[in-house]
Parts: sequence; C-alpha cells; structure tokens
Amino acid sequence: MSFSVILSSIAEGMERSVGIFFLTLIFSLPLGFIIAFGRMSKNKLLQAIARFYISVLRGTPLMLQLMVVYFAPYYLFGFSIGNWRYPAIIVGFVINYSAYFAEIYRSGIEAIPKGQYEAAEILGYNKIQTFMKIILPQVIKIILPSVTNEIITLVKDTSLAFSLSYMEMFSIAKQIAARETTLMPFAIAALFYYVFNLLVSVIMEWIEKRMNYYR
Amino acid sequence: MKKQLLCGILAVSLAAALLAGCKKEDSKDDDKKDGKKTFTVGFDAEYPPYGYMDDNGDYTGFDLELAEEVCKLKGWSLKKQPIIWDNKDNELNSGSVDCLWNGFTMTKRESKYTWSDPYVDNSQVIVAKTDSGIKELKDLADKTVGVQAASAALDVLQDKEEGQKELADTFKAIQEFADYNTAFAELQAGSVDAIAIDIGVAQYQLNSRGNDKFVILDQHLNAEKYAVGFKKGNTELCKEVNEALHTLKKNGTFDKLAEKYDLADMVCLEE
Repeated sequence: MSFSVILSSIAEGMERSVGIFFLTLIFSLPLGFIIAFGRMSKNKLLQAIARFYISVLRGTPLMLQLMVVYFAPYYLFGFSIGNWRYPAIIVGFVINYSAYFAEIYRSGIEAIPKGQYEAAEILGYNKIQTFMKIILPQVIKIILPSVTNEIITLVKDTSLAFSLSYMEMFSIAKQIAARETTLMPFAIAALFYYVFNLLVSVIMEWIEKRMNYYR
Repeated sequence: MKKQLLCGILAVSLAAALLAGCKKEDSKDDDKKDGKKTFTVGFDAEYPPYGYMDDNGDYTGFDLELAEEVCKLKGWSLKKQPIIWDNKDNELNSGSVDCLWNGFTMTKRESKYTWSDPYVDNSQVIVAKTDSGIKELKDLADKTVGVQAASAALDVLQDKEEGQKELADTFKAIQEFADYNTAFAELQAGSVDAIAIDIGVAQYQLNSRGNDKFVILDQHLNAEKYAVGFKKGNTELCKEVNEALHTLKKNGTFDKLAEKYDLADMVCLEE
C-alpha cells in the first residue's frame, strides 16, 4: 500500500468523522438548550426528567450508549436494523452531547444576577425579550470556553463510532495498520485529529475575541 | 455582527453535513442498483489474508473474493460490511449482515449458527518470538499469552473437555486483544510472551513482519474448520451460497483463489 493511498484512505475516514462532528453539533447544541430549560424549570416533573436524562447520559460511557441505541430496536422490538447504523451513531452522539451542553448552558444562565431580570421587568421587557436581548448575549460569552472544550472533545470522540463498525478515521487507521502490520497509520490519524482540533480552537478563539465587545 | 457570524458558521456546518449526507446516499444507491438482491457479508477487516484492505484501500481477501464470485454466480450485489468481531452475534441476529464470512471457525460452534460446508482446514497455533526460548507448548507455563477477543483461539483455551484449558491454566495470564495487529505490536514490545492465533493469519503476519523474528510452534493447539456462518435457521440462504461454493470448486475458481492467497494446502471443500 503506497503512502499516498494510506493518506487518501485516512482522509476519506476523516470526511466521515467530520460528518459525525457537524451533525452532532447541529442537533445537540439546540437540544442542549431544551434540556437546560427543563433542568431549570419550576415544573418538578420536567425538572426530574431533565435531571434523569443528564445523569444517565453523563453517567454511562458514550461507547455503551452507542451500542444501546444501535441494537435496542432489534433486541427490544425485533426490528431488523439494516440501515440504522449511521442514524444510530448520530442519535447516540447527539443525546450524549446535549446532556453536557445543557449543563454548560445552565452554568451560564445561572451566572446572570437576578437583578438584571428585575431591571428588565421594570423596563417593560417580557420574558422572551429579556432572555434573548439581555441574558443570552451574556451567557454566550460566559460559556464559550467550556463549549470549546466540549467541541474539541467531540472531535476526538468521533473515533468511538468504530464500536458500531462505522468506517471513520480511527477504524480506517486500524485496518490499514492491520494490513501493513505497523502502527504508523495511528500516527497519521493523530496528526489529522490534531490539525482538525487546531482549526477548531483557532476558530473558537476568534469567535471569543469577536464577543469581547464590552471590554 | 454576531448574528452574521452565527449564520456563517451554521451555513458552513450545514453544507458540510449535507455533503457528508450526499456521499452516503450515493453509496446506498450503489448497493441497490438494478434492483438486485443485496448480499451483506460481515467480516473483520483486520484479519488478513481472509479479509483486509488491499493496496488501493478497498476490502479484499480470500473469503471476500469468494463471496464476490458467489454473488457473480447468483446475480446478487455484494455489500462488504466490516464489523467489530466482538459484536458479530449482535450484527448477525439483528439482520444488519446476512452472514459471517471471514475465517469463521465452525468447529465447536456447530449448533450456534446455520453453516455452509467447511472450506478451510484451520489450526490454532502459538506464535512466539524466535529468541524467547519458547519451543513447545509446555514452555508457555507462567507466560502471558495474547489472543483475539471472542475468537476461536480463545474458545480453545477455555474449553475444558476437548480444548486446551489445562494448558491455559499453566499460563500466567491470557490477554485479550480486539485485533491481532495490536497483539503482535505487544508481542514485539515484550508485554505478551506468545500469541494464540489461526495459522493462516499467523502466516500472513510472519511474512509481513519477518519470518526470522517469530516462530510458529510445531505443536498445534487444535485442528478445526472454517465455514460461512448464517443466522440460525436461515437455511434457505445458506443452501444457495453452499451450492454456489460447490460450483466455484468445480469450475476451478475456488482453487485459483486459494492459490492466490497461499492457502492451497489448507482448503478442504469437496466437489
């Protein structure tokens, strides 16, 4: 296997990893808000559900969650799961990450002093206006570093899709390693992950700088 | 400013996700072109020479080429689905693959799957470093032995009646690996002393890593047979594949492939 073939195979795997990465972010970032609102809700039932959701998804390994999501339709309901592999991976990642994002959002929202809500009320803002115009912009600034952390973890976690036999970058690297009987492909994969994460952190830093408009 | 930014990021990510999505659609279309029946083979892509990646990054191997020939005969389209070997039963039972075809040991598992006729005579063997001083099975006392998780080699080491449980009890430990490449890396690094492995796979590893560095012990752990495994009760599909295999044997394709993968001494399919 020539070096260029190895590189292009790993790059192909990278494409699939990136697919998981973006789809997970697109769905889990908004879903996290819903969970966070549930977690902070005054309704005890909603709060209990959100608490349970977060505690289970944070308290069990992502790899195990992926396997549960993938195999549950068959073992619980007897469905054949021919084309369920990719959706299962996305669902698994999205619910797992939404739990983490929910807690990050909560930390940001709860950091805003109560006085601001009171001031907004006196100024005649309704609840939605208060949240969108006053609270959210500050929350985003507060949570950005934690979100960056989580996003970088996500880049590396995409490798867990190997447990559902999805041919993302890590699985490809493993297979090339098996064929070539060396461990060199792992070094290449590591480089790919690192460069991707470097890009992510540069972009996130840039966004953070952009958000620094009060200083 | 912020909104523009967020919109920009969202647009880029949507585009990327859509691109990834489209790619997948394409490959799905490939599977079902001409309304042909899809035959999905589950295999371990880290198991040369039976199933692995070729020079161009495509999946190949003795078993996969056989499957391709079977599909050609039957007019099916072949889908090669690499799986994690630990998960093979889940994948087969849940219907995400039609069969397990990848140096799959039939011996001792007869009642767990519906099997084709056996086509390879396999043995489980021990590989050690040449300079380790391990010459026969009894030298393995107090040594750490590596083996693939959920493999036939592991079954042999754990079988009390006809297997080598007694021998395994003399080991210091059995270390399970997800794949044999890692196991060999650890053997080289010295964290395991020997590896229990299928002979065909051992030969590939030795050819690739240098025949002088490792030895296959002359004493084998057992003798066993490979066959294609179908979900228990799926006799119809099994019968079709079996008939196709025999046709391939008759027309010489089977032996040609065996020759190509250096397995001619080991194949055992009768006409």
